[in-house]
Amino acid sequence: MSMEDYDYLFKIVLIGNAGVGKTCLVRRFTQGLFPPGQGATIGVDFMIKTVEIKGEKVKLQIWDTAGQERFRSITQSYYRSANALILTYDITCEDSFRCLPEWLREIEQYANNQVVTILVGNKIDLAEKREVLRQRAEDFAEAQSMLYLETSAKESDNVEKLFLDLACELIREAKQNKLDNSDTAPMPGEGKTISYLSCCNIN
Amino acid sequence: MFIFGVCGCCGALRPRYKRLVDNIFPEDPEDGLVKANMEKLTFYALSAPEKLDRIGAYLSERLSRDVARHRYGYVCIAMEALDQLLMACHCQSINLFVESFLKMVRKLLESDKPSLQILGTNSFVKFANIEEDTPSYHRSYDFFVSRFSEMCHSGYEDPDIRTKIRMAGIKGLQGVVRKTVNDELQANIWDPQHMDKIVPSLLFNLQSGERTESRSPSPLQASEKEKESPVELTERCFRELLGRAAYGNIKNAVTPVLMHLDNHSLWEGKTFAVRCFKIIMYSIQSQHSHLVIQQLLGHLDANSKNSATVRAGIVEVLLEAAAIAASGSVGPTVLEVFNTLLRQLRLSVDYELTGSYDGSTNIGTKIIKAHEERQLQEAVIRTIGSFANTLPTYQRSEVMLFIMGKIPVPGIHLTLPSSDSGPEGTRMIQVMLLKSLVQVTAGFQTTNMLTALPSSFLEPLLSFSLTEDPEVRLLVLQILLSLIDRHDNRPKFANMSSISDISVLKLKVDKCSRQDNLFMKKHGQQLYRHIYLGCKEESSGREHYEALFALLGLLSVELANEEVVVDLIRLALALQDLALSTDEALPVYNRCAVHALVAAYLNLICQLTTVPAFCQHIHEVIEVRQKESPYLLPEAVFVDSPKLHSSLDKVEGSVLFLQSKITESLGGSGYNTERLATPYVPQYTEEDRLSKRKSIGETISLQVEVESRNSPEKEERTPAEEITFETLKNAIVDSVGMEEQERERRRQVVEKFQKAPFEEIAAHCGARATQLQSKLNQIFEITIRPPPSPSGTISSGYGQSQSRSVPIYEMKFPDLCVY
Repeated sequence: MSMEDYDYLFKIVLIGNAGVGKTCLVRRFTQGLFPPGQGATIGVDFMIKTVEIKGEKVKLQIWDTAGQERFRSITQSYYRSANALILTYDITCEDSFRCLPEWLREIEQYANNQVVTILVGNKIDLAEKREVLRQRAEDFAEAQSMLYLETSAKESDNVEKLFLDLACELIREAKQNKLDNSDTAPMPGEGKTISYLSCCNIN
Repeated sequence: MFIFGVCGCCGALRPRYKRLVDNIFPEDPEDGLVKANMEKLTFYALSAPEKLDRIGAYLSERLSRDVARHRYGYVCIAMEALDQLLMACHCQSINLFVESFLKMVRKLLESDKPSLQILGTNSFVKFANIEEDTPSYHRSYDFFVSRFSEMCHSGYEDPDIRTKIRMAGIKGLQGVVRKTVNDELQANIWDPQHMDKIVPSLLFNLQSGERTESRSPSPLQASEKEKESPVELTERCFRELLGRAAYGNIKNAVTPVLMHLDNHSLWEGKTFAVRCFKIIMYSIQSQHSHLVIQQLLGHLDANSKNSATVRAGIVEVLLEAAAIAASGSVGPTVLEVFNTLLRQLRLSVDYELTGSYDGSTNIGTKIIKAHEERQLQEAVIRTIGSFANTLPTYQRSEVMLFIMGKIPVPGIHLTLPSSDSGPEGTRMIQVMLLKSLVQVTAGFQTTNMLTALPSSFLEPLLSFSLTEDPEVRLLVLQILLSLIDRHDNRPKFANMSSISDISVLKLKVDKCSRQDNLFMKKHGQQLYRHIYLGCKEESSGREHYEALFALLGLLSVELANEEVVVDLIRLALALQDLALSTDEALPVYNRCAVHALVAAYLNLICQLTTVPAFCQHIHEVIEVRQKESPYLLPEAVFVDSPKLHSSLDKVEGSVLFLQSKITESLGGSGYNTERLATPYVPQYTEEDRLSKRKSIGETISLQVEVESRNSPEKEERTPAEEITFETLKNAIVDSVGMEEQERERRRQVVEKFQKAPFEEIAAHCGARATQLQSKLNQIFEITIRPPPSPSGTISSGYGQSQSRSVPIYEMKFPDLCVY
C-alpha cells in the first residue's frame, strides 16, 4: 500500500557554467527569495517542491549542480537519473553561451536519452549588459530541439513559468509512455488521498 | 485507503492499533514519547505482527502531517517510535513495515531543516544495521544515495551544522552500502551510477578535512573538540566500502577516484592522491591489488599528453601502491607494468628533447619544462625499482631481460621506431634504462647465477660496458655488482684500501656451488676482459676504479674456485703491466689508479687465499710503496685531491708485484702455477673495435651500417663470413699460446654452443628440443653465419654479423618474456 503525497515525482537537474545563476533560480522558485551574494555551490544542492497542475500533485526534486569544473565528476553522476535538465546560461556572458555545445555533449554522454532539456537564458534584468541576443539563443535551441526560456531570478521573471512548463511537459511525456515510466508515475488511484495536504505546501 | 481527520474525536470507533499509536504522543511534544504506551504498542505489534505494516503506515501518515505543519516535536516522537518498533520486531515481519519506515526517512530527508535531515539519517543508519532475512524486491535506494551524497557536499552557512550534515551524509552512505552490498536482489550499489556519487562524496570530505586539519593550530584542541572528525569517519567508511568490493567491482570503485583526482587537480600535489591509494591498497582484498595497479597504469597512459607534474604524480602513486601490493598478486601483469613504465620513460625523453607533446606539428601547444620531465623520469625509475623489489627472483630476471630488450643499441633504431630524437635521445634512453636496471637489480639475490644471468642478458649488458660513455660504463658496473653480490659484501668494498688485515671487513664467504663454477667457466673470460678494458678507458674516473675493485673483490668472494683465483691473479698482473706499459698512453692518473687497484686487489686476494708466502710478498711490496711511492696505493689515489707523481718512469723493482714470486708461493700450495706463468692477454676482437665505433661518442647511424653492408667492403668480408668450425679452431690455435690451447678451445666451444641464440630461447621457454635436434640446428646456424654473440671472443668476420645479430636479440626478447 502506498500513501504517497503526490501523483508524479520528477527529478530536475540544473546544469551550466559557474555563476550563471542556477542556485538563484532554484531558490527563487522553492523559497521565493533571491539571495544576494550567493556563494558557489559545492558539489550538488537539493531542493524539493510540490506543485499542483490541473489537480495533480507533482513533486519536483531539484538537484542544483555546481558549475565549477572540479565538481564535474559528482555532478555528472546526477544526470543519469534526471527526468529533465535545465541548461542555464547567462545572457550577459558570451562565454557561458559558447560553452553550451560542450554541455550538450555531456548530456549526450551521461544523461538518459529520454531526458527533457530546456535552455534557459538567465539574468534578463541586466538587459543593458546583454551579450547574447534572444534570436541567436532561440535558433540554437531550435536546432537542438530544446525548449527555450529567458528568466530573471532577481526579478522573478518567468521562474515559476519555467518550472511549471517543465512539469507540464513531463506529465505529458509521462502519460505518453506510462508503461515504460511506471516508477516516476505511480499507478492512478494511488496517492489520491490525504486531503489535508492541500496546495503547495512547505518550503 | 483510509481517510481520517486530525482530531480523533471519535476515538472509540477507531481500530485498536490506531488508538495505541495515538496514545504514544503526549499532549505537549516537549514531554517526549509516552514510554508506558510505547511499551503497549510494542507488545501489541509483537503479538500481532500482521498489524505491523498498518501501524507503520499510520505512524508515517501522522509524521508526514506533522512535518507539513512544522510540528517537529511530534516528528521526533514518531521517528523514535518507528525506530523502536523496528528494533523490537522480528525480521520476517518487518518487510512491509520497512516500506513505511523508509518513506518516513525519505520525507525527513526531503526537508530543508538540517535537524530533520540528521534525524532521518540517524534512523536510516539504525535500520541499516538490522539484517533482514527476507528479500525485498522493489526497494530502491537511488534517492538515498543521491541525497546522502548531496549532504556530503553540504554548503550550509553555519560551519558546525555544515559539519553535522556532512557527517550525516557520510554515515548515510555507509548505511546504504551496508544495506545493499550483500543483497543480490538490491540495485547493485557497485554500479557506476551509484559509485560515481558515493566515491567522490567521500573523497571530497577526506580532502576538505585535510585542509581544515592542517589549519588547526594544535592537535590537542582538535581532539578535544570532537570524538571523531569527519575525516576519520570518512576514511573508515571508505575503507569499509573498499573492503567489501569484490573482483568485478574494483574497477567501478577506483574509476571515480581517478576522475576525482583529475578534476580536482590532485595529482600534482601528490600527498592526497598517495593517501587515497594507500587507503585503497590497504583496504581492498589483497588478491585484487593488481587491478588497482592496472587501472593506475591505464590512467597513466591516458594522461600521456598531460603535463609532466600530473604524470609524475600518477607515477608516484603507482610507486606507493606497488610497494603495498603483495608480491604475488602483481603477478599476471608484471610485464605490462614494466612495459607501460618504460613507455612513459621513453615518451618523457622524447618530450624533453623535442620540446612538444606532439613531436612536430603543434608547436607551442604546451611548454614542456625539462626539469619537470627529469623529475618524472626519476620517479618512473624509482617506481620500476620499487616494483621489481616486490617480485620473486624468477620474475625479476624476466624483468631484467625485458628491460634489456628495450635498450636501444646505438645505430640500430629497432626499439625506437618513433623516436626522431637522434643519438642524444638514444643515449638518454640508454642511460634511463640502465638506471632502471640498477634499480631492479639492487638487492637481487639468486642462488643460481646461471639462470639469473643468462647470456642473453649478460652479453648485451657487457657490450654496453665497452662504450666510450663513462656514465653508461659506470651504470653497467653497478648492475654487475648488484647481480654478483649475494651476501651483502658490496658495501665492504666501498673503500679501496691496502689494509694488512681484511678480517675487519667481515666478509661473508660461502663455498661456491657447482652452478657458480659453471657460470665462471662460461662467462669468466668475458668478465675479466671487460674489467681489463674498463681499466684501460681514459675516461674512467675514481668511481669507475672503485667499482672495478668491488667487482674484482666480489668475484673473489662470491664465485672463486682455485682456477678463478689463478685467473684473477693473472688479470691483476696484466693490469699492472698495462699501467707500466708506455704504448697505451694512459694519463698519469689512470696509471696510478690501476697500480693502486692492483695493490688493493692483490692485498685482498692474498689474504683470501691464506697462502703465507703470497701474503708476505704482497705486504712487502705494499710496505715499500708506502715508503717510496704512496701514489701507487689506493689511500693516496682514491681521495678527493690525489697527490700524483708527475712521471711514473721510476716505477720498477721492489714496488712492483712479481709474477715469478707469486707463482712460486702459490705453487707451494697446490695452485696450478703453469697457468699463472702464462701472462693474461685479453682477446682483442673485431667486436671491440665495433662497439667503439658504435658508441655514442661517434654517431654512426643505421644508414651507415646499412651502407657498409652494401659497400665493396662486403666482398672482402664475405669469405670470412662462411666460417666453419675448423676455421674457428684454427683461429684459436693461431692466437692463443700453446699451453692454453686445449683448455681455451674447449671452453670456447662450450661457450659458443651455449650462447647461440636458438638454444637460449629454447632453454628459456622450456620448449626443449631434443639434444640432437638443437645440435643440428646449431650446426646449420653456424654454417650459415657466425654465431651472433655480441661479445664472443673469436670470429674474425664478426663485423658483418654484429649488425645483424642485434636485431635478432631485439626480436627475441618480447617472445621470451611473454609468459
